[in-house]
Amino acid sequence: MNKTRGLKRYLEIIPGFISWGIIIFIIVFSFWHPVLCATAIIIFDFYWLIRTGYLTTLLIMAHRKLFYEKDKNWLADCQGLSPRKDWQNIYHLIIFPVYKEGLEILRPSLECLRQSHYPKEKMIVVMSFEERHLQSRENAKILEKEFKNTFFGYLSAFHPDGLADEARTKGANATWAAKQAKEFLSAKLITYEDVIVSCFDADTCVDKEYFGCLAYHFLTSPKPHQASYQPIPVYNNNIWYAPSFARLVEISASFCQMIESMRLEKFVTFSSHSMSFKTLIDIDYWPVNMISDDSVVYWKAFLYFKGDYRVVPLYITVSMDAAYASNFFKTIVVQYKQKRRWAWGVEIFPFVVSRFLSDREIPLTKKIRRTFNLLESHITWAVWAIIITLLAPLPILLGGVFFSQMPIGYNLPKITGLLLNFTLVTSLVWILLSRTTLPPRPKDVPWIKNVVLVLEWITVPFIILILGSTPALEAQTRLMLGKYMEFYSTEKRRKVV
Amino acid sequence: MLVEQKIRAGLFCLSVLIFFLGLPFILSFSLGYKFNRHTFKFTRTGLIVLKTQPPGADIYLDQMPLKEKTPHTINEILPGTYHLRIELEKHYPWLGEVKVEAGKVTRLEKIILFPLRPNVKQLNKERLSLFWVDEEKGAFYYINPENNSIYKSDLEGEHFEPIAELLEIKPAPIKWRLSADREKLLYFNHHQIAVVSLASPNEPSLRELAFIIDYPKQKIVDAYWHSDSYYIILVGDRTIDVLEARPNAPAVTLVNLNLNNTSTFYDMRSDTLYFLDTQKAADGKLYDNLYKLDLNIKTFPLQELLKSKSNE
Repeated sequence: MNKTRGLKRYLEIIPGFISWGIIIFIIVFSFWHPVLCATAIIIFDFYWLIRTGYLTTLLIMAHRKLFYEKDKNWLADCQGLSPRKDWQNIYHLIIFPVYKEGLEILRPSLECLRQSHYPKEKMIVVMSFEERHLQSRENAKILEKEFKNTFFGYLSAFHPDGLADEARTKGANATWAAKQAKEFLSAKLITYEDVIVSCFDADTCVDKEYFGCLAYHFLTSPKPHQASYQPIPVYNNNIWYAPSFARLVEISASFCQMIESMRLEKFVTFSSHSMSFKTLIDIDYWPVNMISDDSVVYWKAFLYFKGDYRVVPLYITVSMDAAYASNFFKTIVVQYKQKRRWAWGVEIFPFVVSRFLSDREIPLTKKIRRTFNLLESHITWAVWAIIITLLAPLPILLGGVFFSQMPIGYNLPKITGLLLNFTLVTSLVWILLSRTTLPPRPKDVPWIKNVVLVLEWITVPFIILILGSTPALEAQTRLMLGKYMEFYSTEKRRKVV
Repeated sequence: MLVEQKIRAGLFCLSVLIFFLGLPFILSFSLGYKFNRHTFKFTRTGLIVLKTQPPGADIYLDQMPLKEKTPHTINEILPGTYHLRIELEKHYPWLGEVKVEAGKVTRLEKIILFPLRPNVKQLNKERLSLFWVDEEKGAFYYINPENNSIYKSDLEGEHFEPIAELLEIKPAPIKWRLSADREKLLYFNHHQIAVVSLASPNEPSLRELAFIIDYPKQKIVDAYWHSDSYYIILVGDRTIDVLEARPNAPAVTLVNLNLNNTSTFYDMRSDTLYFLDTQKAADGKLYDNLYKLDLNIKTFPLQELLKSKSNE
C-alpha cells in the first residue's frame, strides 16, 4: 500500500517538476547562457507556429464537419438502419448531477430534452440533487410536476452527503444517480446493453438531434460498448451576455474540443458525454473521489478494456453556460477557478500511469504514446503562454552587452515577433469561425455587440497569460506539492428574457 | 472519418517535415550562419545594423547599391572590412569603413545626414546685437542697440514684440539677468546696475519701473535675482551684498571676501549662493574654500536686515 502511495506521489510530482524545470531553465540560462536559451526559444516559437497552423487546419476540418452535420435528421438515419440494429431497442438514460443550480438553469435543460427530435418514451431522466443543498427537495418537486409525464421515466435522486470514500464531487453525485437508475431499469426489465447513459452538466441544453445522432453512432460503431460518445460543447446559453474575455475563453475552449475531436488517438471525454450503461456498470461508474470525473471515466474504461476503448466524436453541439459573475474582476476569478479545475485534470496522469505500470495486457507502445500525450498536453498548457509572453524577452534583458552584440541577440526579437505575427494570422480564422458558431443575437442585445465580438480578440494576449498557462501551472504545482484541490462549482449566470 | 484521419495524418507529416526542414534555416539565420549552396557548408557571418537620421537613404556596400533603404540590417555578411556609403538626396553623403566580425553585430545607428542647404530661418524682425533664451518659458529676448529696445518672441520667432526700453549704462553691460517672475531685467557693468520692467502694458505701474543703481565702492563681479524677484544679490570683488530692486536702495553686506574676482553660482531654486573664497588656516597659510550661503527667506532674515539698514 505504501509502495503504491509512494509511486503515486512520484508521479504527481512529474508534471509540475517538468513545467517548472522548463521555466527555471529559461530564466537561469537567459542569464548564464543566453545564446542557448535564445536558440531554445526560437525553436519553441517555430514549433508553436507550425503547431498552431496544424491545429487551426484541424479546427477548420472539424468546423466543416459540424456545419454539414448540424441540421441532419439523425432519427431518419436510424430508421434507415437494418432491422438488426433496431434503434427502438435503445433507451437513453440522461443524468443531470445538480448542485446549487436553480430552476432558471434546470428548467431550460429539461425543456431542451422535451423539444428534442427523438421519442420521449425512450428517455429516462434522472435529476440528481445534492441532499445537503436545502433547496433541492423543493426544486425537485416543482420539476417533477412539470416534466414527470414527459419521459418514459423521470427520477429525482438525492445524493447523501458524506458517504464512505466519497469526495464532494460531481462524479459522486452522478454515480449515485446511475445506481438509482440501475434499480429503475431492472424493475422495468430493460437490459443494460440497450441503455446509453448521458451525463450532462446541469446547464446542458442538447441539440434537438442529439439523441438521434448518438443512437446512430452507437448502432453503427464497431464495439459500441467500448466507446464513449463525445459531442462538441459550446457555451452558447448566455454567450451574448457574458463579458468579452469570458466569451473568448469559452469560444476557445469549444474550439480546442473541436480540434481534439479530430485527433482520435488522443481524444478523451470532456464535460457532457455519453457511453454504454453496461460499460459504466462494468467499470464501477464514475470516480467518486476525483474532480476530473468526466475524463477519468474514459481512462477507467480504457484500462478495463485493456486499451481497446475509444471516444467517438459526435459533430453535434451541447450548449452550456459561459462562466461569469456580477462584475469584471469576479468574472476573472470565476474563469480562473474554472480553468484551474479543468487543468486539475493533470491528476489523471498519476492515476493512469500507475495503472499502466501494473498492467500487463495493454501494448507497451500504446502505453508510452498515451503517457506522452497526457504529459505533453498538460505541460504545454502550463508553459506555452508564459514562454511566449513573459520568458521570450529574457535573454535580451538578462543576456548583457555581449549577447546584444551577437546576431542572435539582434535577431531574437525580430524572429520571435515575425513567427508570432504568423501565429496571429490563425487568430483571423478563429474569429471567422467563432462568428459561425454563435447563436442568433437576442433582441435585447444591441447591434454594436457584433463589432465588439470581433474587436475583443485584441485582448487575446492578455487572456492567454491570465487564463492560459497560469491556472494550469497552479494546478500542477498543487499536485506536485500534494495540496489537493476540492471540487469547485463554477458560478454561472443566466439572463432571463 | 477515415478520410479525415488520412488527411490529418498527411497534415501532421507535412507539419513535421516543414518543422525539420525550416528549423536549420531559421536557426542558422538567427545565429548568423550562411548556407553556401556550392560547398553545402554553413559559414559564420556578421551583420551590420544601419539607422540614419533622416531615414530612407540609399546604401552602397563596396560600391554595390542595395535595394533596401535605411533603416536596414545587412544580414549574413561575411567577415571583413567593407566600404559603406550612404546617400540621401539633398544631403551630404556618409562614408565609412566598417569592420564586420564573424558572429557579431556592427551597429551604425547614429548616422546623421546633414542637409546640403541647412534650414536656416531668421527669427528677429528688428536689428539686434544681443539675445538670450528663457528655456523655461520658451522665449527669446533680443536687444536692439540702435534704439535701446528689448524685444521678445517665441522660439520660432513668432509673436515678436517690443517689451521695454533700456536705460543706458556705460561702459556696456557685461551680463543680463531675468527675474524669476520674468517681469524684470537687470544688467550691469562693473559699477552700475540697471533694472527695467518687462511687465505687460496692462500693468503701467510696473512698466514705468526703470532705474540705475550706482555702485562705486567696489567692482561688481556678478549679480543675481533672488527667487522672490525683488532682492538682488550682488557679488563684488570685496563683499557679497544684498539690496532691494528699487531706486537708491542701500546695500547690506553679507560676507566680506578675501579673494578678488571670486567665482560664484546662484541656485535660484533654493536661493543658495555658492562662492569661492580664501581663508587663513591654522598653519597660517591661505587656502581656497567653497562656501555656501543660504539666502532662503524662510531661514535668512533678509527683510529685517534691509529694514534696519534703511532706518540707519
